[in-house]
Amino acid sequence: MSAVNPKLLAVIRREYLQQVRSKAFWISTILIPTLGLGFIFLQVALSKSLIAKGKIGVVDLTGRLYQPLLAEYAARGDDDEDAAKKAEEARDEEGRRNRSLSTKIDFFKVDATAATLPDVRRKLNDDVQKERIKAYIVIPADALQKGDAEWRAQSVKSDLVMRETIASLLSRAATKERLKDQGVSPDVYDKARLKVTLDPREAKEVETPEASKNAGFNLAISGIFFFLIYISIFVYGAFIMRGVLEEKNSRIVEVIVSSVRPTHLMLGKIVGIGLVGLTQYAVWALLTLGLTLPAVVGALGLGATLPPIPTGTLVAFVVFFLLGYFLYAGLYAALAAPFNTEQEAQQFVMIPGMMLVLASTTWFFAFNSPNGMLAQVLSFIPFTSPLLMFMRISVQPPPAWQIGVSVAILLVSIWAVAWLAGRVYRVGILMYGKKPTLPEIFRWVRQAD
Amino acid sequence: MNPTIKLTGVVKRFGKFTAVDGLDLEVPAGVTFGLLGPNGAGKTTTIRMIMNITKADEGEIRVLGEPMSEALQERIGYLPEERGLYRKMKVIDQILFFASIKGVDRKTAMERLERWIDSMDLRPWLQKKTEELSKGMQQKVQFLGTIVHDPPVLILDEPFSGLDPLNVVLLKDFLTEFKRQGKTVVFSTHVMEQAERLCDRIALIYRGKKLLDGTVKEIKHAYRDRVPLPPPVEPEPELEKIFIKAVEESGLSAPTAEALR
Ligand SMILES: Nc1ncnc2c1ncn2[C@@H]1O[C@H](COP(=O)(O)OP(=O)(O)OP(=O)(O)O)[C@@H](O)[C@H]1O
Ligand SMILES: [Mg+2]
Repeated sequence: MSAVNPKLLAVIRREYLQQVRSKAFWISTILIPTLGLGFIFLQVALSKSLIAKGKIGVVDLTGRLYQPLLAEYAARGDDDEDAAKKAEEARDEEGRRNRSLSTKIDFFKVDATAATLPDVRRKLNDDVQKERIKAYIVIPADALQKGDAEWRAQSVKSDLVMRETIASLLSRAATKERLKDQGVSPDVYDKARLKVTLDPREAKEVETPEASKNAGFNLAISGIFFFLIYISIFVYGAFIMRGVLEEKNSRIVEVIVSSVRPTHLMLGKIVGIGLVGLTQYAVWALLTLGLTLPAVVGALGLGATLPPIPTGTLVAFVVFFLLGYFLYAGLYAALAAPFNTEQEAQQFVMIPGMMLVLASTTWFFAFNSPNGMLAQVLSFIPFTSPLLMFMRISVQPPPAWQIGVSVAILLVSIWAVAWLAGRVYRVGILMYGKKPTLPEIFRWVRQAD
Repeated sequence: MNPTIKLTGVVKRFGKFTAVDGLDLEVPAGVTFGLLGPNGAGKTTTIRMIMNITKADEGEIRVLGEPMSEALQERIGYLPEERGLYRKMKVIDQILFFASIKGVDRKTAMERLERWIDSMDLRPWLQKKTEELSKGMQQKVQFLGTIVHDPPVLILDEPFSGLDPLNVVLLKDFLTEFKRQGKTVVFSTHVMEQAERLCDRIALIYRGKKLLDGTVKEIKHAYRDRVPLPPPVEPEPELEKIFIKAVEESGLSAPTAEALR
């Protein structure tokens, strides 16, 4: 391999040191994980707030379900008597939800008959609207035959979790009453009831060991890495844009291009900032390692250490981050060069920004059916593929040839974008004054060397 | 001997406007050459074309007998009209960066610039960020970047603009020294007094065309009968000399590194 051009190296070096020494670098190094964690905490807090506590009026026209409902609701709290069962229940989504719910719902009985129902309703509706109570349910006289009851709340859309939980409590109570009608002891129900779980496993003779064991953790890792690729291309793209404009506005470009080829200046900036990105990842990796060290974990009183991140995911992350970054970086450089201010450049820099946002919204396809038609197509299109292919690989590795084709398409696209970008950049950085029009920019591309 | 810089029939158009119109120019080796002309005459455009920053639409440009190339760029020191430095970078890093893109290693660069840094009073400022420097001081940093690779050819676009009389004298001394070392220097200026004192040859361009070209002596001779001679003047001290004297007599010296900390 021939030695890298020393001037290019000088440009890379300057760019790298300048960025790493800047405040912006350290601020973003702290801010991105803080935002990420903040986002997760917000999600957790939000999901907790879904289980709102509240008073629930019960109008029981069958006259048989109110007490059993209370019994079922009380029984939820007794479920986790012994520790073993508690641990088991902790992994069980429904169990956890019910337990936290059982401490928060406050049922009260509302007496009514078919005749007084309209008046009772009027009173209860008023209570709901004035927020004296959360909601009320009306169990009609034929509920034990038909299984229909009413949920009345301020909005039919809210409190989905609570409604579903009460529905399942009622179902259980009603089933037991119906068993009694058949002359069977309701205890049989509790004894006979069995919850079956489906354990997701790969359909292979030899399973990938991590795949089945730490499925939840691996999924979370995929999501976090996906987010990282997305956010860092965004952040570093902005760095590139700002750097190009700074060099142009400070007029230093003219000095530099009198000894460095413009393409090298552009490439140096892109590579330098790419290295800054890798440095940032290294800082995060070290921080994470430090935090998950057994001693630290013990000291902080955290649970067991996290399982290791699958190697395939890590490799795919680095490869597709770099490919995606280089693809978008060229666009950012080219789209900043023709302009004098960030405001002028903004409307064009929006283009890669929008493409990124679009690409990021497609995670669902890769997540939901990694080998589905849409996921496959999107993992070949250059501007979505860095994100999509990474997601597919980390969720369920596609055939090797697909990865190969995706990488090949990306490499060709990077080359094409770099070629175009170089031409626009070369002319653009020495253009001052009037904002160029799109046809002018196209003319620059066509200009011969 | 081959001329160091040779332009033949060079044309540059911006849209319909012709900024440089069939310009022929020859700068012999070892000569200090003044490029004169009114604002908008095409001086900067010509210099940029010599540096291959903008491309000529027509004509041929040769420097040291070759068309411009990366290797050739390393033998030219170029000071652009629009000076530019990285605002957030330390002065010393900036100078070393200029050295590195000219292919000069740190050690050589520092040895070479030692003397210049001191004569320009820049040493106390080396660890400062560029944005903390005054415009004139930034210009000196820029000048160091121009000469860090000890080029045999210097092309300076209005090197004196923005400098105070003290530094003008300093720069004149530098240019005189370059001439003594046998370097070829081309510079543009609006100050005729500088051109007269420093240049062996000048060219005057206007609207992209050359009006005058030759040694200062030849040109003066040719215009002897057409331009009125200056009236004899009563000898009196020049303002420039007064400026320098006053600064000297103030007893103050340029700030030291301690004072800047
Ligand atoms: N990029 C450009 N686009 C359009 N016109 C330009 C461009 N650069 C220069 N010109 C025009 O070319 C002409 C020559 O400009 P140039 O900068 O070479 O003048 P100059 O002799 O250096 O003037 P000054 O003494 O003011 O520096 C001017 O009329 C200027 O408006
Ligand atoms: Mg000019």
